[in-house]
Amino acid sequence: MNQTVANPSIAADAPQSPQGRASALTRLLLSNEFGLAVLLLLTFLIFANTLQGFSSTFSLFTIGRQIGINTMIGLAMMAVIVTGGLDLSVGAIGACTAMFFGYLAQALGLPLVFAIPLAIVFGAGLGFINGITVVKSGVHSFIITLASMSIFFGLMIFLTKAQSFNQLPAEVPSFGKWKIGGLVSPLLVISMLMCVVLSLFYRFTTLGRSMLAAGANPKAAELSGIRTGHVITACHVLTGGLAALAGLMLTARTGAAIPSMAGQLGQDWLLPAFLAPVLGGTLLAGGRVSVVGTFLGAAFVQTMTSGLLLMRIGEFWILACLGVMLLLAVLTDKARQSLLRSKGMV
Amino acid sequence: MSAALQVSHVSKSFPGVKALSDVSITFQAGSIHALLGENGAGKSTLIKIVTGIHLQDEGEVMMGGIPVRFANPRKAAAGGLGVVHQERNLVNRLPVGENIMLDRLGAHSLSPVDYRSVHKEAERWLKLLELDVDPRMQVSRLSVAQMQLVEIGKALSLQSRVLLLDEPTASLTPNETKVLFRILRKLRDDGVAIGFVSHKLEEVFEICDKVTVLRDGHNACDSIDLNKLNRADVVQMMIGRAERISKKDARPKRDVPPYIELKSYASADGHRDINLSVRPGEIVGLYGLVGAGRSELAKALLGLSPQTAGQVLVKGRPVAIHSVAEALHSHGMGYVSEDRKQEGLILLHSVLANSGITVWRKLATRLGFLRDATVADHVGPILRKLELKTPSLYQTIGNLSGGNQQKVSVAKWLAAGVKFLIIDEPSVGIDIKTKAYLHDLIHELANEGTAILLITSDMPEMVDVADRILVMDDYQIKGEVENDRNYERVSKQIMGFIHGREAA
Repeated sequence: MNQTVANPSIAADAPQSPQGRASALTRLLLSNEFGLAVLLLLTFLIFANTLQGFSSTFSLFTIGRQIGINTMIGLAMMAVIVTGGLDLSVGAIGACTAMFFGYLAQALGLPLVFAIPLAIVFGAGLGFINGITVVKSGVHSFIITLASMSIFFGLMIFLTKAQSFNQLPAEVPSFGKWKIGGLVSPLLVISMLMCVVLSLFYRFTTLGRSMLAAGANPKAAELSGIRTGHVITACHVLTGGLAALAGLMLTARTGAAIPSMAGQLGQDWLLPAFLAPVLGGTLLAGGRVSVVGTFLGAAFVQTMTSGLLLMRIGEFWILACLGVMLLLAVLTDKARQSLLRSKGMV
Repeated sequence: MSAALQVSHVSKSFPGVKALSDVSITFQAGSIHALLGENGAGKSTLIKIVTGIHLQDEGEVMMGGIPVRFANPRKAAAGGLGVVHQERNLVNRLPVGENIMLDRLGAHSLSPVDYRSVHKEAERWLKLLELDVDPRMQVSRLSVAQMQLVEIGKALSLQSRVLLLDEPTASLTPNETKVLFRILRKLRDDGVAIGFVSHKLEEVFEICDKVTVLRDGHNACDSIDLNKLNRADVVQMMIGRAERISKKDARPKRDVPPYIELKSYASADGHRDINLSVRPGEIVGLYGLVGAGRSELAKALLGLSPQTAGQVLVKGRPVAIHSVAEALHSHGMGYVSEDRKQEGLILLHSVLANSGITVWRKLATRLGFLRDATVADHVGPILRKLELKTPSLYQTIGNLSGGNQQKVSVAKWLAAGVKFLIIDEPSVGIDIKTKAYLHDLIHELANEGTAILLITSDMPEMVDVADRILVMDDYQIKGEVENDRNYERVSKQIMGFIHGREAA
């Protein structure tokens, strides 16, 4: 679902020609999301019918749970790609938040109802630091977040002495193991709910619309009375909050807050973070998001990964395969953009 | 003897605009040929065609009698055609010498650069221009005038048979201009054909011997001897049309206090001592040549460039504006940008998003929630009134025609209900019908009490639409002309303020 066009049903005064409707259908069929959904379905059916154990209850549960986590990671990156920027520090924010949460819940013994919101605010705060630095310095977010990634992660290792929190309240690991209806992980449900919330956010709130406007054309948005600086900072805050949520979900899955849970400097998150939104059709240049696409992207990537794992293909081959997928997605994005430009739409 | 450079019957259209139509001009060796015309008359387009940046639709370009069609400016340079463009084309981070010799640093791409000889060669041209800078100095450290001279030096160093100069003196002092003219005369005596574009008529009469005037993309005259003409003839040809009575009547004056007033205003952009006021219901024109600082003034007023002196009064009260959001939401100010595609609209987004962007904040609930239907209800009637042609409000605006895009970039300010609207070059790249429509709209807005500042380089448009006209040059207001819709009188007076009194 593209947030910027769409929904012809409430076109108040414009005549809707039959051609207009036909082209809307064509547009849907040609859309990234539709293609991705078909691809996902095909991949799933092929694996389910050829690989033993792929469609077992346990396998479906773990795939769903991982889709939940990866979707949240993808949404976190998507929220900042909207501005035409990026955030390399999502993994670091996720890991730092998890450790902060572990400190609150284990070392301080704070009840979860306080520890969880506080941890999310903490992640959003790290995002705020990124955002305000990007806006005030005018330096591209690539450089700023490359630096903040190391700073956040380094400070966290220093403060925690790289010690895990593995005595978390029992609710945390059991939440990660919970199977709703014997099949569905609550982590997947949370991510799907977040997709709905974000879809509504970009469509029905001033701030969401302003983010898209500032991302598509910051100059025009500024000259139309949008406070572009504030809006871009808000995007980074949103990214921080979502990355924090992803960190907490990963903590629930592993049952402990581990400094290296997102890899060194949180780098393990970068591939899923970019893959999901870019496959899903979020414009890297900014200004157009696809929340549903991000979910489908994450689902597709995870289905592929799980299937390839079951085929006993080495982990490195899977990584290479994901890399190729990202490259193809970016090239498609680029081709689409030059198509838009040739039609004078950019 | 065949002409050094001949352009014959060249036409060129851009989407929606015919930039040149059947234009001819002949540059002879050993002559300095003036190319004159108002903004938008087609001078720059002509130069771009000759140098291979654009390709003409019809007609021919010949050098020494042989038809040429350069694929790009590099080829043109190799073919003996040197150009100094109006815009700077220097690499700021490189030294002066390397800039001058940029396309001849070595025999081929991988041959080592002999910096000593590069700088020595560059120094020769700098000396000739009496420009006392070290060729090893970075271009970014030069003054604007010095950069201009380096640019000229670069063109001279090509030692081409034809040299085209587009406003070479725009940023030069009289002294530097004198040196340049001495060199040009010497080149002329050596048999170089020189084309000279300038808005400064006294310079044209000082140095040129032939003249071609373009008007609205046509030849007003083709390569005639300058000594047969006087200044009044040339001005007459540039502004064209004998007495031209505007279609619109002068509007009644309103005796109300100004909505916005600037007193000795100065900006960090370089505006100095600007006094200006616009009353509700008044259309004040701001005329000037490209680079005079008009759009910059508009943006500075909106808070994009800091105010350094003077006062800005809105409804009689001094204000300090720091952002467009503040200008819009607190002071009812709006700006229709001259650059629709880059600054005016978000081409990727829908008609609805573009026309409602200014009112999202106003229409949203306290928590910031906003439905499309709410926005559509608000902007729908305005878009209908403007007769916007779009298949739906959800159409991507990049797919609409220029005229319809322009309607949306005006509509968003109507939607916001601004009390003071700055309209910058409203009719760039739109068809005649929409242009007339926009003019009516501007009048209607003013009649309803909006204070309007109209920026345009289109003289007929200015005379048609504005009540009174301020003339800006070099970031200052040079004078004010009461618009009595007498085209000839008004345009002469305006040109007089810009070119100094001599043209009036």
